[in-house]
Amino acid sequence: MKRFYSNLLILAIAALSTMSCKKFLDRPPEGQLGEEEAFKTEADVVSFSNGIYTLFSNNQFYSGRHQVLNELLGDHYKGDRFTGDYAEIFKRQNSFFGATRDDYYKLAYRIIADANLVLKHLDLATTQKNQLEGEAKLFRAISHFELVRMFAQPWGYSPDNSHLGIPLRTGIELGPQPRATVKQVYEQIIADLLSAETLLQDVSPAGKFYTPTKWAAKAYLAKVYFQQNDFAKAFQSANEVITSNKFVLDASYANRFSLGLSTEGILTLANITSPAQFSPGGDLRGNFRSDLAIPGFSFTDQFYAVANTRPADVRKAWYSNTLQTGYNVLTKYNKNFFDLPLVHLTEIKLIRAEAGAETGGANLAVAITDMNQLMTRAYGGTTFNLPVNATAAAVIAAARSERELEMVGEGNRAQEIKRIGARSGTNVDRRGSLWNCNGFILQFPKAEKDANTAFVMNVEGGCF
Amino acid sequence: MSILQFIRATAVCTLLLFVSATAFSQSKTITGKITDSKDGTPLSGITVSAKGARTAVQTNSDGTYSISVPSSVTALVITSVGYASQEIRITGSIADVSLVVTNTALNEVIVIGYGTQRRKDVTGAISKVSSDKLTAIPVSSFEAALQGKAPGVQIIQGNGLAGSGSVVRIRGIGSISASGDPLYVVDGIPIVSDQFLRGNGGAMNQNPLSSINPADIESVEILKDAGATGIYGSRGANGVIIITTKRGKSGKPQFNFNTRVGIATYAKRQEFANTTEWLQLRQEGWTNDGNAGLAPLPGGYTFATAALNNTDWWDQLTQTGIINENNLSMTQGTAKLKTFANLTYSNNEGYIKSNAYQRLSARLNMDYNLTKNFKISLTSGYNRGVNKRVPAAWDGGIGDAMSSALPFFTTYNANGSYFTNGANPIRRIQETKRREIDNRIIGGLSFEYQPVKNLFVRAGGSIEYVTAYDDIYESSNWINQANPDSGYAKRFPYWGANKNGNVTVNYLKTVNEYHKFNFLLGAEAQEYVRKGYLFEIGNFEAAPYWDNPSHYRSRRDEIINQRKTATPPQPTEKALEEYTFNSFFGRINYSYKDRYALQLTARLDGSSKFGPNNKHGFFPAISGAWTLSEEDFIKNIKFINFLKLRASYGIVGNANIPAGKYYGNYQPGGVTYVGNPTLYLNYDGFGNPDLQWETMHNIDAAVEFSLFSSKVTGEIAYYNKQTTDILMEPGTAPSNGLGNIYRNLPNSKILNEGIEFSLNYKIINTSSLKWTIGGNISKNYNEVLDWELGPDAVIGGTNDTRVVKGLPLGVNYLVRYYGVDPLDGLPIWLDKDGKQTKTFSLNHRVFAGSIMPDYMGGFNTSVEYKNFEFSTLFNFVIGGKIYDNSGKYQFMGASKKNWNFREDFFDRWTKPGDVAKYPRLTYDISTFPGVPGEDQFNSTLFLHDASFLRLRELTVGYRVSPATLKKWKLKSLRFYLTGTNLLTFTKYPGGDPEITRDFENPQDRNLSPNVTYLTAPTQRTVIFGINLGF
Repeated sequence: MKRFYSNLLILAIAALSTMSCKKFLDRPPEGQLGEEEAFKTEADVVSFSNGIYTLFSNNQFYSGRHQVLNELLGDHYKGDRFTGDYAEIFKRQNSFFGATRDDYYKLAYRIIADANLVLKHLDLATTQKNQLEGEAKLFRAISHFELVRMFAQPWGYSPDNSHLGIPLRTGIELGPQPRATVKQVYEQIIADLLSAETLLQDVSPAGKFYTPTKWAAKAYLAKVYFQQNDFAKAFQSANEVITSNKFVLDASYANRFSLGLSTEGILTLANITSPAQFSPGGDLRGNFRSDLAIPGFSFTDQFYAVANTRPADVRKAWYSNTLQTGYNVLTKYNKNFFDLPLVHLTEIKLIRAEAGAETGGANLAVAITDMNQLMTRAYGGTTFNLPVNATAAAVIAAARSERELEMVGEGNRAQEIKRIGARSGTNVDRRGSLWNCNGFILQFPKAEKDANTAFVMNVEGGCF
Repeated sequence: MSILQFIRATAVCTLLLFVSATAFSQSKTITGKITDSKDGTPLSGITVSAKGARTAVQTNSDGTYSISVPSSVTALVITSVGYASQEIRITGSIADVSLVVTNTALNEVIVIGYGTQRRKDVTGAISKVSSDKLTAIPVSSFEAALQGKAPGVQIIQGNGLAGSGSVVRIRGIGSISASGDPLYVVDGIPIVSDQFLRGNGGAMNQNPLSSINPADIESVEILKDAGATGIYGSRGANGVIIITTKRGKSGKPQFNFNTRVGIATYAKRQEFANTTEWLQLRQEGWTNDGNAGLAPLPGGYTFATAALNNTDWWDQLTQTGIINENNLSMTQGTAKLKTFANLTYSNNEGYIKSNAYQRLSARLNMDYNLTKNFKISLTSGYNRGVNKRVPAAWDGGIGDAMSSALPFFTTYNANGSYFTNGANPIRRIQETKRREIDNRIIGGLSFEYQPVKNLFVRAGGSIEYVTAYDDIYESSNWINQANPDSGYAKRFPYWGANKNGNVTVNYLKTVNEYHKFNFLLGAEAQEYVRKGYLFEIGNFEAAPYWDNPSHYRSRRDEIINQRKTATPPQPTEKALEEYTFNSFFGRINYSYKDRYALQLTARLDGSSKFGPNNKHGFFPAISGAWTLSEEDFIKNIKFINFLKLRASYGIVGNANIPAGKYYGNYQPGGVTYVGNPTLYLNYDGFGNPDLQWETMHNIDAAVEFSLFSSKVTGEIAYYNKQTTDILMEPGTAPSNGLGNIYRNLPNSKILNEGIEFSLNYKIINTSSLKWTIGGNISKNYNEVLDWELGPDAVIGGTNDTRVVKGLPLGVNYLVRYYGVDPLDGLPIWLDKDGKQTKTFSLNHRVFAGSIMPDYMGGFNTSVEYKNFEFSTLFNFVIGGKIYDNSGKYQFMGASKKNWNFREDFFDRWTKPGDVAKYPRLTYDISTFPGVPGEDQFNSTLFLHDASFLRLRELTVGYRVSPATLKKWKLKSLRFYLTGTNLLTFTKYPGGDPEITRDFENPQDRNLSPNVTYLTAPTQRTVIFGINLGF
């Protein structure tokens, strides 16, 4: 009762005293920090940037969703067991409702917004200012790049790339944003990567490239230029990464997704167990892992045959039609834990090879060397190696087919179909769609249109 | 500054402000008290004037007056609307008068915010429902008893789960993400009425209002317009429901014992296909899809093994619930002390097996006159509500009986073990138990001091303290424990304190006889903190925690100790919710000759809920009334006894959003980045320093009348409410990367405009026979006037209602179903332009209806003949739609969805040439062209007219005659039989037409009443009761 009266007194005084009024009305929710409290020192900005990096390993992004969406759009899998959103996307007929796509979109933009927050608070940084700015620009560029490839027709779809891309977000803004053109989006991505390339550190502290370095920026630049079929620049960026000699091709194809065995990762999400468990790749295992149960994804007989064409191919171990009877499954992710490389040397070598062949001259020889290095590893010897005088066309063909085999299940194929289409107008899709059909890209979340009625949605379907 | 200093200062200020010449040179002073002749209650605000002189005063709140009159004056005239005027001769210095009522209704005391008024003086829109009407029927939550009794107040009865709450809407709805519920004020305390303190656990919103004991309530006043709610400022927009508990009445101790017993069942159930029918329907769909052979069945059943069983799950899960309520109260009053005490125990079983709401409640209200001018009042109540929960809707139980518990499933296998090869709701309710135990203590103390004549200073403080336990027990059978004694017990407690303190100064002043003023100034502060543990308390136990509270305590202490002794020590509890309000308010009432009344109110509200850029809001309101019947030109019209015009305009707010939403939500995320620390901004947690209340401009105009010797009374009211600065959480562009955010939506406006009409007619009013009829009807027109977001920006609850400019809030946005193609039985749809198509597409969606009714109301009649009484109440809804969202799946029941199939879907296409209501059955719904899957199969096929007429209450009673009572030495004795929801007339095929589903959040509750998802139908009850007074 005594407490009751004292409470009463406090309340009465609070009610009457305008002096204490401000404090009485100040009740921030417990356990939450406001922006001003969150960003006080350089260490806070560093922690926040660390947080963004871990978002890449969210299941809704690089730990699975990103690869799943790309594989669904691609031409490697059987579609009869897909339901709901997966079925829609597989049919290349993505419609405006669907959490599978929405959540991916939101997470990618969350990374961009968080990167923008780091840039906003850069004035707190001292010794790590360059690294922080470089990381933020790299993260923003990666997200914009993946989004523009998923939600817009590819570079080269229109002659001047004035076709609609995605909303570009370069600052903190709650309101809606119209779609920029694909040209504008790529310009921003490249500007961010070029800046990151100069700002980021040369070597990772752990020596493992688990943190962003300038090589990650260069590797993504190579990917971006390659997607643009800008082979000279793609070659140059890939070449810089390779000639840094910081990355070594794994002796075994099996090391790419392993616990610390790979030396190829240019930017890798590390699996850590201490002081807290952090395990990237959860949804990759969830969708593809085939040693425990029948996975959601199983290959068509057609692609399974393609992958098993050459008996000598050691990478055949990535496939099985016996593990789960009646299903052609992937075994690449049949592990409890692995480090997840976002970009690796094999891909950069493949880029340098194909770009080298496309640019020709001295680059062609480099390309042949690259291909032979990869093919020697793949086929357990030099049997299928290219001759030193191989034509550019032969090198390109080899690079393309090796890329498909090397990067199976890594979300690579759908973008290759589009890139090759944009390059030469050829349709390599085994399911028979045109590379530039409307449904080959994802629909935007309906919420984007609802927030801004002028927002232009994609045209759905029309691929079959 | 201490309270006393403040009070003194305020008193002096007030006096200085309003003082005027009141001195009379040669005069005598007459004092006295004016009371009501019927029950002796003191009458305040009565005009006492000196005959032949321009001197008049008004009586105080205790009915006393003191008038100085020139010595020449020989008589006083006492006048008041609704009472017969009296003239008394001055024979001494004391003159007590008792007035005879001419119109009871007009003199009814109406509780307004921070005060009371006589009905005739009220300038705002207030409906009053008295205790006898509230307790006439058994309801687990008092608000359900308001249904049909107040115009403009929509009550959608709670569903069939014991203790479930109703949806209450006063004059429509103008909010989206902020709650549209009214503010509930119990004895001056704005209480916590949030239906989402437990989220939607177990598919039920835990209703805090059920812990208010209906038997404690003296009256409920529903404040509807700004004239009435303006004094509540930022919390007045949705209307205010003021609950006043009973207090001691003058007289010797008097006891009342009320008891009732009865039964509860369901008002209207859904009927399902039996096994034979279901199997036949399954095969039909299979064949329709072009398949050969027998259709596959779930759970490894064959047609032969399935045909062996036919379980009626609804019957298995329901019972005839027993209602038992007992209530003992005492009232007593002397000049010094008045007391009201009450004890209640009730156990109301629902119609679902093992579902019940149990109440134990005690109240003690005391008023003590310390001195003649100093009164202390205690208001205290305790209520323990035990809700014996059952799973429902999507969480199983009765929901399974309507969905996935198929008729060929059984409760037990042949060997006596539970059937687990599919839904088994009996196993669920037998092997899992859940109880929500809510304890609510309200204690309030107030001091009223009258330092000088006509000046009243009141200071009060109160605490509402709530502890709540959500107890869950899962048996060893349920969790498959080897040890037969090891089930798992867990408890989720929270505890909250809602403290409120206020000070008001009230000054009455009459100037030149006819100009009456009433000034009120006040300040109020409120602080609410609700806490919970940061961990789950649970363990392997042989019995639930409610049976072994000591096990709970030791487990809790063990975990607390673990956390406290950890290195570094971990916190154990946190504030789940915390907010404050700090307010200043004032009211001026002015009346002239009892004819013209003007009221000004204003409130300055500050709240911790608002962002730092908008911490305070100012809410003014003006209202006035013109009592035409006091004018000479009306006085001559014989049949008009009372006629008043009333109007108000004001700005009020809605601050009913979760606390802390203005604040950023950054949180450290642990050491997960290659051994380095992380920091995150939570999605949807960017914060908004500009966050403020919703603003509503509210206009009200009405005519109140009493005609034909007051046999006919009624009111016609018009209102126009426009809400701007709409509080919105969703609808941001996802590319902002930050998620949704609570904000005041620019360029948004929602209109609620309506008319209310209520009428009561005393057809016969003799001493032996009384017959009255009455009723009310209201129409609310709702329109989103300004809106710049797209139609899917706000998705109410289950994806089926929308917000669109030019249409009502919560509009059904669906593909139109045209009919069945008689050739192939496939559905024919209408596209956006109304062209027929057989391909379904979400792009065909149009606005197909609204969940809001066109008209609603109630009508009643009561007859008293000698000692017998009979009364009924019907309530009705005309127009509006129900979206039968679970019906959508039940229609596909015999498909691979594997749900129960409702009998009303039997009218389907089976062969070419059939003209049927429903399309052909299918095994796979995506065989309907364009239908992406069962979830997106939303169309007007499942949209139904929501109109209904319901016999809400029917009572037959008998009062023992006074002569017999005298013989038995009793004060009163009454027997009665009451039924609720006895009859329902509706075209809705899905069972009960009143749908209060389990809501996910306030937005869902605002936009999706009348959208079903396996909602348990409301209860039907029949009770026999005895009221005994001694």
